[in-house]
Amino acid sequence: MDPMTFSIIRHRLFRIVDEAVITLKHVSGSAITNEGHDLMVSLYRADGTLLMGGVGFLHHLTSAAEACKSIIRRFEGDIHEGDIFLLNDPYTAALHTSDIYLVSPIHHEGRLVAWSACFVHVYDIGAVNPGGFAPQAPDIYTEGFSSPGIRLVSGGEMRQDVLDTILNMVRSPEMVTLDLRSMIACNNVARDRMQSLMTKYGAEEVDTACAELVRQSEDLFRARLSELPDGQWQSRQYLDVNGVTARVNLTMTKREDRLIFDFSGSDPQSPYSINCTKWASLGGLFAPLFPLLCYDITWNEGVLRPVEMIAPEGSIVNCTRPAPVSVATVGAIQSVNNAACSTIGKMLGASEKYRDQSTAVWHANHFAIFKFGRNQKGSESIGILTETFAGAGGARSFADGVEIGGEIPNPISRMANVETVEAAFPVRYLFRRRAPDSGGPGEFRGGTGGELALVPHKAPDGGIHYVISGKGARHPMSEGLAGGYPGAPNSYVWIKAPEDGANAPVTAAGGLDAIPGTQERVSWGVYPLMGRDALYVRWNGGGGHGDPIVRDPDAVCRDVAAGLVTAQSAGDIYGVVLNDGAVDETETQAKRKGIRSARLAQEAAE
Amino acid sequence: MSDQDRISASVAVMEGQAVCAACGQDLGLATEPWKEHAQRREIPLAQAGGPAFDTGHEGVVLRHFYCPSCAALLDTETAMAEDPTLNDILASRG
Amino acid sequence: MAGTGETSYLVATDVGGTCTDTIIFGTDGVIHIGKALSTPPDFATGVLNSIVSAAEPMGLSLEELLVRTHLFIHGSTVVDNAVLTRDGTPTGLLTTQGFEDTLNVTRGAYGRWSGLTEDRIKNPVQTDRAPALAPRDAVVGIPERMDSDGEVVVPLDEAAVERAVRFLVEEKTVGAIAVSFLWSFLNTDHERQVRDIVRRVAPGAYVTLSSDIAPSPGEYERTSTAVINAYAGQITNDYLTSLQDLLAGKGYAGATMVMQGYGGLLPAAEAADRAVGMIECGPAAGVIGAKFLGDLMGDPDVIAADMGGTTFKVGVIQDGKLEYAREPMVDRFHYLAPKIEVVSIGAGGGSIISVDPRTGVPHVGPRSAGARPGPICYGQGGEEPTLTDVMLLIGYMDPGQFLGGSITLDREKAERIFKEKIADPLGVSTQEAAIGIYRIASAQITDLIREITVERGLDPRDFVLHSFGGSCGMLAAAFGRELSVRRVVIPYTASVNCAFGLVSADVAHEYSVTKSLPATTGAAEINAIFTPMEEQARAQLAAEGIAADRMRMKWSVDLRYSRQVHEVTTEIAAGSPLDDAGVAQLVDDFEALYERKYGRGSAYREAGIEMTMFRLTARGLMPRPTLPAEEEGETDASAARTGIRDIYVEAEGGMAPGDIYDFEKLSPGNHLKGPAVIHTPITTIALPDRMTARMDRWRNIVVEFDAD
Ligand SMILES: [Zn+2]
Repeated sequence: MDPMTFSIIRHRLFRIVDEAVITLKHVSGSAITNEGHDLMVSLYRADGTLLMGGVGFLHHLTSAAEACKSIIRRFEGDIHEGDIFLLNDPYTAALHTSDIYLVSPIHHEGRLVAWSACFVHVYDIGAVNPGGFAPQAPDIYTEGFSSPGIRLVSGGEMRQDVLDTILNMVRSPEMVTLDLRSMIACNNVARDRMQSLMTKYGAEEVDTACAELVRQSEDLFRARLSELPDGQWQSRQYLDVNGVTARVNLTMTKREDRLIFDFSGSDPQSPYSINCTKWASLGGLFAPLFPLLCYDITWNEGVLRPVEMIAPEGSIVNCTRPAPVSVATVGAIQSVNNAACSTIGKMLGASEKYRDQSTAVWHANHFAIFKFGRNQKGSESIGILTETFAGAGGARSFADGVEIGGEIPNPISRMANVETVEAAFPVRYLFRRRAPDSGGPGEFRGGTGGELALVPHKAPDGGIHYVISGKGARHPMSEGLAGGYPGAPNSYVWIKAPEDGANAPVTAAGGLDAIPGTQERVSWGVYPLMGRDALYVRWNGGGGHGDPIVRDPDAVCRDVAAGLVTAQSAGDIYGVVLNDGAVDETETQAKRKGIRSARLAQEAAE
Repeated sequence: MSDQDRISASVAVMEGQAVCAACGQDLGLATEPWKEHAQRREIPLAQAGGPAFDTGHEGVVLRHFYCPSCAALLDTETAMAEDPTLNDILASRG
Repeated sequence: MAGTGETSYLVATDVGGTCTDTIIFGTDGVIHIGKALSTPPDFATGVLNSIVSAAEPMGLSLEELLVRTHLFIHGSTVVDNAVLTRDGTPTGLLTTQGFEDTLNVTRGAYGRWSGLTEDRIKNPVQTDRAPALAPRDAVVGIPERMDSDGEVVVPLDEAAVERAVRFLVEEKTVGAIAVSFLWSFLNTDHERQVRDIVRRVAPGAYVTLSSDIAPSPGEYERTSTAVINAYAGQITNDYLTSLQDLLAGKGYAGATMVMQGYGGLLPAAEAADRAVGMIECGPAAGVIGAKFLGDLMGDPDVIAADMGGTTFKVGVIQDGKLEYAREPMVDRFHYLAPKIEVVSIGAGGGSIISVDPRTGVPHVGPRSAGARPGPICYGQGGEEPTLTDVMLLIGYMDPGQFLGGSITLDREKAERIFKEKIADPLGVSTQEAAIGIYRIASAQITDLIREITVERGLDPRDFVLHSFGGSCGMLAAAFGRELSVRRVVIPYTASVNCAFGLVSADVAHEYSVTKSLPATTGAAEINAIFTPMEEQARAQLAAEGIAADRMRMKWSVDLRYSRQVHEVTTEIAAGSPLDDAGVAQLVDDFEALYERKYGRGSAYREAGIEMTMFRLTARGLMPRPTLPAEEEGETDASAARTGIRDIYVEAEGGMAPGDIYDFEKLSPGNHLKGPAVIHTPITTIALPDRMTARMDRWRNIVVEFDAD
């Protein structure tokens, strides 16, 4: 077709997704949607294949495509203009029950021509624990309401009986109503704009442009794959819950213009809700693939075609009903994403042309803590600790990772201000800052993660509770590249106040150990934050790149001055000796030489 | 594969052989696991990277793979003791 | 001429990134315009040059003009420039211990992706945040803490403050210190104590308190604001002082008023201490100018579009009201200050046209040839085709008529390179390719303006489009029609619109109090918040010489639904002081505004409504110069027609003959039909087919679309 018209239609499709995202955020008004950007809007072709993925939580782009396809299968012959379908069953297409998909057919002159789909993490889904992550759920049946596909809006009319039934099962029906309304408004905007696009240019012309857009993405991605060396790269992730460790093993093979992700050898599904279904795994591996390999290619079905996934049934990355999955998005999906980021980073690093695009693993481990309870204004509140969106960047082949720089699968997140949290919850932060030594050491250091401590403050009930679905307190998960170390693991500590009745600490500049009381590690379940106790969380840094003992000594010196690396680690790991805040060149050379000798001397010892 | 390719930023390829990128030390065929030719060491996680790596649990190690000639650190792996080595290989293009 | 002595003048000069514009209003009702290149970092030179260029045709020397000048109004990019070029004062930060990284961490990824285009956001591996203006080793945590009620949890450690100040000044050699403590906007005691200590220990240091400059919740943004202000404070001070000295040396004895980003004026002495207030004051003035024209022409709803060589800027005026930016940024730094929202996109006449070699798809931008080397046809060494070159190829520009004929455009070279780099790869003729690119540019601007209006819950069909800037006139009618705006206006003052905005502004002060109250709060309690603010404002305006009958007070309140994040600033429509009916009306108005802005069904009333911030805008009305209006005469424009040339005509799907007009020969009341092109001394207005243009009594060109 005419390349000018194609260019205009392509631009307009991008803007349609943008406008729909704006609408979603506007109508919802919730913190997780607006601050965490925990949302996604995409357009799909008439057969449900991905046409245009937006910048949201990228895990969802392929799963929502499957949601469209399964709605098409289930409702074939009974899909009408103005219908909106709801789907949140993980065994059908969703990632977990609290990420609800609303899927809308788009008709033009009576003919089904496209689909739009969006999701938000709804305020509550009626699982055993509030907020959606349900560490205490033994199976899918206790993870709240789930539907493999139900008509929520029929011909433009809300099905009130269906809505009432859903709202009857959730903790805060008003907030969930708002979430659903925002998704309906979002789909309506996408539908209206698509329809006017087709009215202006003709449905045929638009569909031709869409087909061309998909073909272009496929061609471009295959061309890029062909430029990369053929080979096989491996990575592994450990997920520990309550002392039980599960592995995600990945072998990624690249042959010419094809890419195979093979998860054979991954552990059987877990009794805990960190499992994910195969659609979720597919989403997990595409989340880093889009921005790492297809940063300049439109994210659509064309990118999916050269990729194959092998995920053994009954494993943690392709669990079978009724395994619980509510923590999947920060559990196995995130590990699939990390493993894929690691192997893709290795492959990019193997190419002279694309080495600058390779990165060690970013923010490998969300800590997903939901606080809940009565706040200082007397109202019941549920809220995620938004620091979980503020992960650390992995080191690149040419630069350090970004300190507390976010994550790859959700490119535009942010965390709330301390003042915002303290205004909404009866808590007070003792500190919130970057955590020293958390960034994976390397020639280029992984970005540092952070640490925070919270105490109850003026709480009408003496404190609050929190749901924690923390993993990674035993294993570093942000793998390094080319000799770089992984970022430090997460740490979750409940500090129990001393028996002597001393007041809760008012300040703790010295960090965790400056908070009086006994320390108990927590990671999974529901815990109190009451009285004079404190909660400490440290979150992972990014992986490093290259051998730390070749890092520029001045960079190490600056890191120590900025409190990002301890003097101890500067010496032990980087082999840099500091004197009066400056690098001692001679001592540093000697120290590094000594480290090299010790490395080879190991042979004798073994 | 070509000499422009690498196995990683730290392991280069020369005429089909994996070599240390720092000193050129031969690490075997690029189409086979190079780590078998590297110097391997396992460090308990608690000692691997400063206090932040001390999780209070044992059984997790950080594996180091060094160049047997110049002692460059070529790769790391987080592992539980019994788990196999992760291998990265290039394929010869037919 | 100089001897008449009766006429006195109002001089307004706006320093923009490229040009410094001056507009002079005489009490004789005549307007004079001047233009000179901006001269960073010594902007004052460009200011004088610009005034001289306006004074010369008046037959006045600079001194002769300034002696007769009663008021000088000024806007400048001095602060933006100091931040962009990292040319400010080395700055340290004192903050609450335990939160030293707040500035550096930028609320996580927020500071990494903010200010980037979507293309760059999609490639996170290549993104970084900008290094903070106060480096981490110049940030010192101070033992102190307030809670969310503003109650002291940890008292201020004054000895630690003194040590920290000495460390920053002596070891880190900072010249400016920003102070930002948690919850300081609720209780300013600790920050004020710190200021006293700095004044005692380091009297030479420039100090900014976050509670002074940005008394609002959100410690990251408040801290960032204080740091920007401290960083640029000294430069701003020096600049305004030296400019006033220069003008005084040339005989000027009147006051100098300085434009603020919120569209109001401040006396120079006050502006000097609020550097952040001057950020993007030029574009704000542009919107104020558009609003003034809209008011004059009876159009309360205006989209003001300004397209120059590198950027496309859009401001929206709705029902005569201005939109304020929610998350303003300068360079890549966030700040909190009331600022008129002007959305800026990297698209202009200098946008480079390319064809993606992988896909064969043409692109407009995002790269720009900028002012240097500029478009190919300028003959300054540009070798890449730009949008301006396309305008030439489709007949909208006349090689001999550019900038009044001062430069002859190189059409041959533009055509040759465009054919080779664009048309041939696309496999079409040069003309087809150029027309195609024009369509793409027009469609993309349509998309962007639509998105901007949707974001505000507005419908472009309700608006009049004002077109400013050197490149906008060639596209405005085309994208205006696609947006279905009511009509398009290319104002007579379009070339110096920002300077024009300066003279349409009033003295204005913004005050606010942050306090969380339920919507059910009684009127007395709300009045008790506003009354002291208003007393302070009246005293301030009186001190600036504003008579009581020229003071205007506007009360407004930020409200939100308790469990939602969107806050909507809602004006109190009822008189002040408020009664309970006035409060009820405020809440109703909020609900209506919320639904309009965020869409039907977006409100969650059941959670209750909160008031979060109480704002007072205090204005001192400035004497408004009147634009000279003429009688509209005969409709026949043939006297201004200078010829016929082939131009792009959409209905023909290609090039066809169009009438060419000389703007200077048109007179009010003239009508002309498209397809036509109007050449003005500084720009070109394209009038596509199926449109009619009229010159109105202020010499604005008003474009109407023919009914289909
Ligand atoms: Zn070596």
